[in-house]
Order: sequence, then C-alpha cells, then structure tokens
Amino acid sequence: MSTEKGRAIITTESLCRYYGKGETEVRALDNISVSVEAGEFTAIIGPSGSGKTTLLHLIGGLDNPTKGSVHLSGVNIANMSGSQLSDFRRDHIGFIFQAYNLIPVLSAEENIEYIMLLQGINAKKRKEKVEEMLVKVGLENLGGRRPAELSGGQQQRVAIARAMASQPDIILADEPTANLDSKTGVSLLELMRELNQEQNMTFVFSTHDMKIMERATRLIHIEDGKIVKDERK
Amino acid sequence: MLIIKLAIRNLFRNVRRTILTVMLIGFSLSALIFTDSLVKGMQTLMIENVTQSLTGEAQIHQAAYRENFDINFYLKDGNEIEHKLRKDKSIASFASRVISGGMISSSYNVTAGGLYGVDAARESQLSKLKEATVKGQYLSGEAKELLMGQSMANLLEVTLSDRIVITLSEIGTGELTQALFRVTGIFNFGIREIDDNLVFVNIDKAREILGLMPGNSHEIAIRFTNHKDAESAGSKFFQTFNNDETEALGWLDLNPEIASVIEMSEYSSLIMGSILFLLATLGIINSLFMSIYERTYEFGVIRAIGTRPWKLTQLIILEAFFLALLACFFGMCLSFALSQWTSVHGIPLGEIEISGIAINNNIKTQTTLTQYIEFPLYVIALTLIASLYPARFAAKIAPAEALQRSL
Repeated sequence: MSTEKGRAIITTESLCRYYGKGETEVRALDNISVSVEAGEFTAIIGPSGSGKTTLLHLIGGLDNPTKGSVHLSGVNIANMSGSQLSDFRRDHIGFIFQAYNLIPVLSAEENIEYIMLLQGINAKKRKEKVEEMLVKVGLENLGGRRPAELSGGQQQRVAIARAMASQPDIILADEPTANLDSKTGVSLLELMRELNQEQNMTFVFSTHDMKIMERATRLIHIEDGKIVKDERK
Repeated sequence: MLIIKLAIRNLFRNVRRTILTVMLIGFSLSALIFTDSLVKGMQTLMIENVTQSLTGEAQIHQAAYRENFDINFYLKDGNEIEHKLRKDKSIASFASRVISGGMISSSYNVTAGGLYGVDAARESQLSKLKEATVKGQYLSGEAKELLMGQSMANLLEVTLSDRIVITLSEIGTGELTQALFRVTGIFNFGIREIDDNLVFVNIDKAREILGLMPGNSHEIAIRFTNHKDAESAGSKFFQTFNNDETEALGWLDLNPEIASVIEMSEYSSLIMGSILFLLATLGIINSLFMSIYERTYEFGVIRAIGTRPWKLTQLIILEAFFLALLACFFGMCLSFALSQWTSVHGIPLGEIEISGIAINNNIKTQTTLTQYIEFPLYVIALTLIASLYPARFAAKIAPAEALQRSL
C-alpha cells in the first residue's frame, strides 16, 4: 500500500532495548528517537552488533522495547499483545530477511499466496495478485518452483514479492543482500528501489555493504545502540 | 487449504523420521489390536471349553439346590419345564440330569465321586461328552452302561467292560443303595474336575437308584440359539425360570472364577494398551519437538509475516493428525494381515490350564470391528493430545528470538 509522501510512517521515541540486568546489562539500543517518512528508501548502517537488527525488530513489532514507544502508521505497537502484533504485522509490515525467508515446502507462488491467505483474501484475488507480484519481481515463469530450486537472488525476489503482496505500509529488510554475490545484491536493491519509486513504497533496510548504501536516499548510522549520524541525500 | 498442504508436506521433510514415528505408533496399534484379538480368541476358547463341556450356557435347578447341592432338592415338575423350554425359540437344546455324590468302587480301589445320570441323546447335543469319549462307546440307553474319566479309570485300575459298583444314598429315606455298572466308555474332557471325579450313566437308571420318578431331575442344562442370551440376566428365559420354585443361572454365574479370569483378561488389554500408548506418546512428542527445533528459524519467519500463534498451533496439530492417520493405516494393515493369518491357523500355545480348564487347541485370534474403529480413534485422539504440548511450545516461540537462531 503506497502512502502519502512526506508523512511520518514510523516514529520511535526514546526507544531502548536492554538485555540482562545489573552488571551484565547490555544496551542493544539506547534512547533512539527517529522518524521515517512515507516513500523513503532508508538504510540503517553500522558495524556488526551496533543494534541494526534490534532496531528493525522493534520497528517491526517482532520484539518489545525495554522503554520508549514505536508508532507505526500512527499506532503505538510497543504495548500490543502477541496476536494483535501478528495481525498488525500481517496487514502493515512486509519483511525480508537475510536468507531462508521462504517456507521450503511451498512453491514460490504458494509462499506469496500464504500471507494473503492469512489476510482472508479470496482464492481468485490471491491468484491474480500472485501472478502480478511474480511479474513485478521478474519471476513469472518460476512460480511453481520450490525455494530449493531457486537461486539465492531469486529466493530474495520471491521474498520481496511476498512482502509486497500484503500491500503493507512499509517493508523492513534485514541485510537482504548479505547472502548474495555483489552483482545479484545490486540487482535486488535496484528492484527494491524501483518499487520504492514506482509505488512510493517505504523501505527500511539494514546493511553494511557500501554499494547498497549508495542507493539509499537516507542513511541512519548506528553505533553501540545509538544513532551517531542521520543523513538524507 | 494451504495449511493442510503445508502440514502434509512438512511431514515428509524428514522422511526417515516420519517413517520411524509412523512405525512406532503403527506397531503399537497393531500390537494392541493383535493382543486384543488374541485375548478375545482365548476368551472364546475358554467360554467354549466351559459351556461345551458340561455346564452348558445356563442351568435350571430347584431354588435351594445350589446352596448345599442337596439331592433332596430336585425339580419335581421337570416335564413341565421341558415343555416350556421346547416352546422357547431362544433355546437351541437342553438336557436333564440327575446328580448325586457317592462311592465308586472297582475290584481294586475305591474313590468318592459324582454320578451324573444323563439323557444320552439330548446330552450329545448339549455337552461334548460324546466327543470326549475317547475309548469304548458313548451311552446308548442300556441300564448298566457307565462312562468314566481316564484319570479315574487309572485310579480305580479299570478298563473297558470292567465292573464298577456305585454306592449312594436314596433320596428321601437316606438309605444306602448300590448298583452295578460296567465301564463302556472312557472320556477325556481336558477339565480335571470332570476327568478325576465324575461318572456318567443313563438318566433312567440313575432315577431308579435314587428313587426318583420319571421327569424328576436335579439340573437342566441349556444351550441358547444366541450364546449372548446367557449373559443377559433380564432376558425372558431368566425371568421365567427365576422364581420361588426354580433358579436359572447363566454360565458366568455358574463359573464365577472363569468370569473373573475373563474380566481380568479385559484388563490385560487395557494395561497393555496403556503401556504401548505411553511409549508411543513419548515417541510422538519427541518426534514433534525434533521437528519444531529444526524449524525454529522458519517459525520465526512465519510468525514475523503475521501468522498468529494459534495458526501455528493448528499447523503442528494438523501435522500430528496426518502422522496419526498414516500410522493408523500402517498399523491396521499390519495387524489385519497378522490377525487374519492367526485367525485361520491359530497360535499353538501347547497345553495351558486356566482355572482347571485345559486349553490345548490352537488359539485363533478374533477380529472385531471395534478393534479397527475404536483403537485407531484412540490413537488419533492420543496423538492429538500428545501434540498439544509441542504445538503450544511452537506457538510461544518469540519471533525475534527464533530469527537469531543459527540456520
């Protein structure tokens, strides 16, 4: 679902995520306040262990913050219950992970269809949408293949198609190109950028690949759980 | 439904594990079905041995007779009872008997024993006395004929055509009376109580010695058209003959120790089933947990994209359901093949004795529809119950933690 450009789609306020207690406490994220606007193509960058994945998990409602709030499309998701969060993620957020994004026993088509099934969309509409999505990601002839029969890049394309199929407000991608060679990684990023530009889809992704960073319109630098730099191109 | 497809396909992700789990559950089911069919076969054999030996499926006595087995309490209107029995369509056959204790003497030895006066023709339709006569001739109606068990013949050191003198008390007067017989047949029932202690003579001769009138008897043994009638205390037969004058009892009441053995054997199936199912349950839980641990990352992804915890629970339960279906199919096929073969050929267990009853025939397993409907349903229900714990575990997996798992 494309959203009105310029409107804040994600807002975090004093977001903290601590692990452990006392002397063993680790501050994975410490007091993060950031806002992402609709249509932005944002990269969260930083060294390993800096808190990129934790931030994406909190924004995506996969984890609960120790302190602070996360507003996604105007809704505070920090205090939602498990089932409420599941429904919210299903309808508002698309996810792309580093690898093994897909359900291995389902074909590419079925993987894309699965999320729409959760949304209760009827079979005819699901089929149409699956076809549309496969065309968009350039895999129209490979829909019947299972993940094991697809290359890493093709699998990630299916993951993008699945993320798009639910018509979310935002797509969160955790190092989507980390397991791909640089050529495939760049091509995948170009596809994401295309969708971002054509459909005004908001993308937030983490990476530490320079070639990928170059294509982002905004770079949020994180170190030791804190935002050290936030630059728009 | 995609979730059904997903569950079925997940089942075959690790074919070896699925096959092993199916075999574990399937073998448990087939062992249970086989044990139950074996127990049922043994029960039938025991019942046949009891009811076809001498007891019959039911008996009618004078109301007070069984309190002390007092020969003075005899059925005075035996003819009228026989008339009623002939009219009752549920009765296949019956035989009147005159019974008394006495001294049985040969030229060499003497023993205490029981005398049964029987109607040779009717008795042959009711008990297996005729079939059990292994030497000499069955009763033909001659006054001096006597049938004796092989073990008693050995004790009295007699053989066919040897003389036997029976001494007993006359009914009413209590006067001692004696009668001379010749051994015309030797039987072997395989029931120690009968083989060691009883002799059989013609009923008219027995009445004559005891001073009874024609039509008088101590016992009328019954065989029903449907043997189940003997176990239904509320049936017309029992209602008719249980009154102030007469007492009618089914074979279960006449042989309480056998009834207990049969009841116990029912429990043996239950105990066996419980042990097998406990092992199978642990196997199912183990297998499902292995499968869940292997897929933790995948569950993280599935949860992340918006699958509710309950949907994940459903998926695991469905996987368990299909696993149970496969296992039931396997177990039923296996037990059917095994039970079919043993129901025809039987299992030779040698000669075993249960409560004094020798079972020396091959035990033929008895298959019932219940075994193939109820037991598999138990297996499916149990598998579903066993899957609840792993399913709940899977549903509680936190997506963020699951996604941190190494692949």
